[in-house]
Amino acid sequence: MTRIHDLGGSPDAGPIDKDQHEVQDWEKLADAVTVILDKKGVKTTDEHRRAIESLEGEQYKELGYYERWIAATELLLVEKDILTREEIDEKAVELEESWR
Amino acid sequence: MTRFEPGVHVRVRSDEKPGHVRTPDYVKGKTGRIEGIQGAFKNPESLAYGGSGLPELPLYKVGFRQMDLWEGYAGLADDALYIDLYEHWLEPAQKEAR
Repeated sequence: MTRIHDLGGSPDAGPIDKDQHEVQDWEKLADAVTVILDKKGVKTTDEHRRAIESLEGEQYKELGYYERWIAATELLLVEKDILTREEIDEKAVELEESWR
Repeated sequence: MTRFEPGVHVRVRSDEKPGHVRTPDYVKGKTGRIEGIQGAFKNPESLAYGGSGLPELPLYKVGFRQMDLWEGYAGLADDALYIDLYEHWLEPAQKEAR
């Protein structure tokens, strides 16, 4: 059974969305964080791909490209005992409140 | 040493291997031709789980006819697709692909 990320060419995959958009600041940040964690030897591109592919089907479909990157980076940081899920969630709440 | 030389026909294994692989479903079981040898690289199937990726594996540029990949392909007969595949995904092909 082929997993959700490996749908290239499947008849029900639908057309490729070729819409372009201005790259958002948060997307640049997501890219930068991922690249620097690779450069510092915290994780590898292959681990990152594996983590993206491990997202559940519904979640995978709902998330955009860089949202998947962020979700995968979170998974790896938790897996490697660098951050806990609670720490990430607390920080997210804190940031959200500070931006209100 | 590489197992396959340029010009040789190969079939991509159709295994449903669990975990992270760099071989997409649409080439599995298909026959193509070795177009070039890209070098030897660490195994992504090991790197993806924190492994060393060693030993390095030969990576080939493999060419396929689009009509061999997609059922009912309506483009030109010569249309081709090239993809990099690791050696352990390839086996000698019996039939001539192109």
